[in-house]
Amino acid sequence: MTPPAIEVGALTKEFGGLRAVDGISLSVATGERRVLIGPNGAGKTTLFHCITGTLSPSAGRVALFGRDVTALAESRRTALGMGRTFQISNVFANLSLAENLVLALIGTGRRKWIMHRPVGAYPDLRRRALEGLEHVGLRQRADESVKHLSYGERRQLELALALNSNPKVLFLDEPCAGLSPGERQRISKMIGALPRDITLVMIEHDMDVALGLADRVTVLHRGRIILEGSPAEVQANPEVRDVYFGHV
Amino acid sequence: MGRVGIGLALAAFAVALTLPQFAGPFWMGLVTQMLIFGLLALSVDLLLGQTGLFSLCHASFFAVAAYTTAILQVRYAVPTLLAAPAGLVAGTLLALGFGLAVRTRGVYFILITIALGYIVWGVLHRWSSFTGGDNGVTNVPFPAVGELRIGSHTEYYYFVLAVVIACALVYRVLIASPFGLSLRGIKASETRTRSLGYRTGLHLYAAFVLSGLLASLAGVLYVYYNRFVNPVSASFPISVEATLMAIIGGSGTIAGPFIGSGIILGLRNWVSSFFELYATVMGVVFIATVLWAPDGIVGLVNRLRAARARRKAL
Repeated sequence: MTPPAIEVGALTKEFGGLRAVDGISLSVATGERRVLIGPNGAGKTTLFHCITGTLSPSAGRVALFGRDVTALAESRRTALGMGRTFQISNVFANLSLAENLVLALIGTGRRKWIMHRPVGAYPDLRRRALEGLEHVGLRQRADESVKHLSYGERRQLELALALNSNPKVLFLDEPCAGLSPGERQRISKMIGALPRDITLVMIEHDMDVALGLADRVTVLHRGRIILEGSPAEVQANPEVRDVYFGHV
Repeated sequence: MGRVGIGLALAAFAVALTLPQFAGPFWMGLVTQMLIFGLLALSVDLLLGQTGLFSLCHASFFAVAAYTTAILQVRYAVPTLLAAPAGLVAGTLLALGFGLAVRTRGVYFILITIALGYIVWGVLHRWSSFTGGDNGVTNVPFPAVGELRIGSHTEYYYFVLAVVIACALVYRVLIASPFGLSLRGIKASETRTRSLGYRTGLHLYAAFVLSGLLASLAGVLYVYYNRFVNPVSASFPISVEATLMAIIGGSGTIAGPFIGSGIILGLRNWVSSFFELYATVMGVVFIATVLWAPDGIVGLVNRLRAARARRKAL
């Protein structure tokens, strides 16, 4: 049996006295699309940070395709196949769109160390950067500065950055946060169209987007998992309704 | 670089080539200094302008390289061909050590580099049996390779000019390379570069060492120009001045540090000839830069040109 893409064991993260993630165990199969939901402060983003290595957990372990990566730096995890987006757009504002994508393309290889030739001497980088932008509908703006992008376009670029680091497991932190309904649809279509061999773990507040994309849903509340199941099961569960939507 | 940029660079090159025809030895000396300190400012800006790290210890690499070359030439009669590279190696080795400061960021990085700079200054100042103390090392000869000997300040000026142009060209490739792009990525968002697979600390360390190498090169050029070196060359104000040169000229550009060096050294020579409070004038210049031209002279020129282009388009 192949090991799961992501396996989290008894993961805890404390900030001072606050236990943001409280002993979470989670397993995501290869090729699965998992959505994490939960009210604000449930620990979703902190859990993400601990899995991808942005934060180191207080206790517990993280495994990627069966390999323990708990002690590895974030950059090593990326090299092993983790990719992520950020809840608050985290793109390179002082660079052009094409340069943003080039940074994603060379990040996991050795070419980021090349000092003796300009980026322009590698036409394949330019070509792949344009392809990556094409994929998220930004090709026309390749040579503009990111400064000129709208909020929604930055979300698209954010996704393009994560995709072009060639991830096997992709972590999306609220990819649709703050977008208009039209933009939401566009992004969720993009995510839906991703190849199925990329394992997807996604935090999403928008129930339509979340339940439309998910194979399975995990519900977090106060740092713990309160339910895991199919979208239908989660929707039907009264406890979830209670914590997530509040008492009606 | 646009057409205007290439035109300006060619014009500057033509002026630089013919300068000794109409400028006297005093002016040639000043211009040589501007080039050398411009190179030091460029080395500071490799960190400041490309990676965002604000280092205040670059006088250390400059001075250690200068002292090494000077001591080898004067006391041990080592030929230039060995003494000059030895200076580069010594300065760069120091940068390999001081580079560990990239484990810190922001104000902590600035503080650590200030402290490291003071250590070097203190050693050069107090270890007088080896460094000559306050008097430093004097009587450094002109550089010579076998029978080839630089015999005048004008000849040395041409040599410095050639080295500076070569450095500018190499620097240009470096910042346009995948490595250079990575540095600008780290400057924009270190968290994002990490999540894309970069070991950002290692990239910054490499940039720090390269920057130290460039500062060392400026130091070796300086000692052969100045013919002597004392602890002042390692002092905190030298590091600050190099940083100000980069900022006033235009951080993140190649021409900027040299323009800044020209302005600061030119003003100092001019103002100090009739006004004691030269430092006050420099302070005012710096405040004016921060207020009205935060991207330096190069940034100001670009902004004015963009504004004119917009007016034309309307």
